[in-house]
Amino acid sequence: MDTRSIVTEIIFKALRQLNDELAQGKKIEISTDTKLFGPEASLDSLSLVSVVVDVETGVSDSFSKTVSLTDDIAMSQQVLPFSSVQALVDYIIQLLDKE
Amino acid sequence: MSLNAEKMTLSGEFVDLRPLCISDADLTFKWRQSPRSLLLNRGANSAWQQGEWIAARPANEFNFIIQLKDGKPIGMVSLTDIDMINLRGEPGRFLIGDEDATKGIPAAAEAMLLLYQLAFDHLGLHRVYGAVAEDNRRMIKWQLYMGMTKEGRFQDHYFINGRFQCAVLFGLIEPEFHKVAAPRLKAMIAAGHMKIAAPT
Repeated sequence: MDTRSIVTEIIFKALRQLNDELAQGKKIEISTDTKLFGPEASLDSLSLVSVVVDVETGVSDSFSKTVSLTDDIAMSQQVLPFSSVQALVDYIIQLLDKE
Repeated sequence: MSLNAEKMTLSGEFVDLRPLCISDADLTFKWRQSPRSLLLNRGANSAWQQGEWIAARPANEFNFIIQLKDGKPIGMVSLTDIDMINLRGEPGRFLIGDEDATKGIPAAAEAMLLLYQLAFDHLGLHRVYGAVAEDNRRMIKWQLYMGMTKEGRFQDHYFINGRFQCAVLFGLIEPEFHKVAAPRLKAMIAAGHMKIAAPT
């Protein structure tokens, strides 16, 4: 698998783990278009943190690199890295390419 | 304690924390019946009991309703067991009762930042601590994200969902709050202001 596919699967896995903890009727749709945070988003901040923690751990395990998804750099981007799954994939690849 | 727990309202950008009052009994009892609340300590058995419980809160506890800026109540949170000798307290009773109303809004993050600022910056506490049921994985991740240190566990401490569960014990001291927790929570709050990506 290429980097994009691996990162996408890490995020999907984090969302599946979140869905395991959500009640029926509250589970979120999992796709690259899923809006994570912001207007019309699927997650509240409690759930977003759950996803962030799992994704940071997954990236560290898969790429042996530490990424921080909620630091000042993340928050100084032109668009919110959590706008959607696709935006988060793009941001993580950008972080991995920087190393 | 120099602060008046019964009258204090803490204001943020997205949410306010206002004192819990008896008229919140029906709503908070309803929240406590949700599936998510099964992972918390057992609460009142009726709205009337909930009202009795609210009325019995001691003056040295801070019990808040989390409400959006338009006044809509969405959850609750407390700071209890405040010990001004050893300068410690226990944040808890944290429950987002209306999860749909908080989607896309950093409500939980800001509520917790306001509560920690009360504990560390206003009351001058040195340490906060708490316990989370082992099955409450989302809350455990939340505590770790905020810089809490896992300090141990009490074996089979709770009987929840028909079985015994361990309590995972967490603690956070004041320097770690300012170094780790506050910047992370502020980043989450900043995310609530950011431009979102255009649909692909």
